[in-house]
Amino acid sequence: MNEPPKDRIKYVQTDLHLPYHYYAGDYKALYLNALKDKKILGSKCSKTGKVFVPPVMSSPDAHAPCTEIVELPDKGIVTTFCVVNVPVFGRDLELPYVVASVALDGADISIYGLVQECKAPEVEMGMRVQAVWKPDGERLGEHTDIKYFKPTGETKAPLESFIHRL
Amino acid sequence: MSKLRNVAIVGFAQAPIVDADPHHTAPEMLYPVVKQALASCGIERKDIDYQCAGSSDYIDGRAFSFSQVLEVMGAWPPVQDSHVEMDAVWAAYLVWVKMQAEECDTAIVAGFGKCSEGSPTHVLNLQLDPFYHASLGLDHISTAALQASAYMAKSGVDDAGLAEVVARNRAAGAANPDTQLRKAASAKDLQGTPFVTKPLREGYLPPIGETATVMVLAVEGKAEKMCDKPVWIQGVDHRIELQTIGSRDLTQSASTRLAARNALEMASVTSAREAQVVELGSATPAEELILRDALGLPSGLGGNGASADGPVVNPSGSPLCGNPLMNTGLLRLAEGFRQLSGRAGERAVAGAKRALVHASAGHCLQQNIVWVLGTERRWT
Repeated sequence: MNEPPKDRIKYVQTDLHLPYHYYAGDYKALYLNALKDKKILGSKCSKTGKVFVPPVMSSPDAHAPCTEIVELPDKGIVTTFCVVNVPVFGRDLELPYVVASVALDGADISIYGLVQECKAPEVEMGMRVQAVWKPDGERLGEHTDIKYFKPTGETKAPLESFIHRL
Repeated sequence: MSKLRNVAIVGFAQAPIVDADPHHTAPEMLYPVVKQALASCGIERKDIDYQCAGSSDYIDGRAFSFSQVLEVMGAWPPVQDSHVEMDAVWAAYLVWVKMQAEECDTAIVAGFGKCSEGSPTHVLNLQLDPFYHASLGLDHISTAALQASAYMAKSGVDDAGLAEVVARNRAAGAANPDTQLRKAASAKDLQGTPFVTKPLREGYLPPIGETATVMVLAVEGKAEKMCDKPVWIQGVDHRIELQTIGSRDLTQSASTRLAARNALEMASVTSAREAQVVELGSATPAEELILRDALGLPSGLGGNGASADGPVVNPSGSPLCGNPLMNTGLLRLAEGFRQLSGRAGERAVAGAKRALVHASAGHCLQQNIVWVLGTERRWT
């Protein structure tokens, strides 16, 4: 934000403060609550069988309810990723770091997370990763209960196997 | 008046109006309503050409907040979508314009706003000029009180008169299962409630609630297949006044007067009194009286002007029985649809063939839209 003009009469200072509390709602709360138990939940479309994670109430493409809740493994593959070289507002991480789109096994859409325990240049598309959770007693049912994903060392997945999930 | 396309309201659905729904997010509140509205027309999402939502980023606490509901609107594969940062009744207006431009034949309008997640008082303060008004801490109640005070001084209506207006609406609201306050209240009881900001008492101000609303509109040729009794838009106009409250006469609504004149002229109707139903977007009793003046309708106070052949005003109970921001105006249009399409249940106005619907936005009736609806097509 630019500095205001020096002369006080040339502007009005307005420090907006608008308080909000966003309701997770019962549906999202299922997902958040399960994170405390190191479980990742998704929901299945009643029409197409697509699995969404985090769970959504209705599928955007089929416009059908997704009432069936399914549990997903905390393992998957890196689909797309980027290497962050500049400090970002609200994030206190050692630079550079990797933010990746992770397609969990059995899910049709990806979730986002950090990839750590390896150097940034080692991250590649198709790399298999697993969630690293906050320790017991520290998980609060927040998306950040998954601290990051780490490489599992398993054979990387070929591009054709996840190209539809980019 | 040149010939326009006949456009009809063919479906409407809403979530219950509540103080707060902690169990659902805004998209989750909207999803079943979208499904219900489409089902009521016997159609699916693919049968819709165009969609438009009305909501406020400040109410929702999110930039470009309307994009959060796309996933429940059935907006995939990509659809033609617009949004107005206004009450959803203006989204319905945009749909009507799009239909006149022959850009679409069928459309859904959605309204949403999780007022309980934030502070509408703070938001409505920020709607005012930041130099001279917002910094004083004015909100929608204090500006409405300034207006009520001015109107009372000019018209001679007293506190008992305001209470009578509210009591009338509360009696009507008691018969409306879709509104928020469904308990009648006597003028005497209302007059016994404490002042919030004098001259407005607690009983004269509706709670700000939340809901989700969806309306389906279609042009002639398609509308008849989607609804047994399509309700035709015969005329519509909207007008806005200056933001600066000191620069306009708060005791009257010049924009309502003009919008009504234009909407009635489009409908080829000479007076609001030719409607059997009038639904007003008044959130205070003074606003109702100002709007009645602007439309040439009697105040109805103390039996004044109440006659058997005049229109029934506010059969829904008006916003005085439920004011879910961003939906309040669309609910007025929905009341017109319900009354003329045989969907008003117990509160149905017998023999209603034409309705005049008003909705408002901004402080002290700053912006006003007037619709003339009918059971008959306007253009042949």
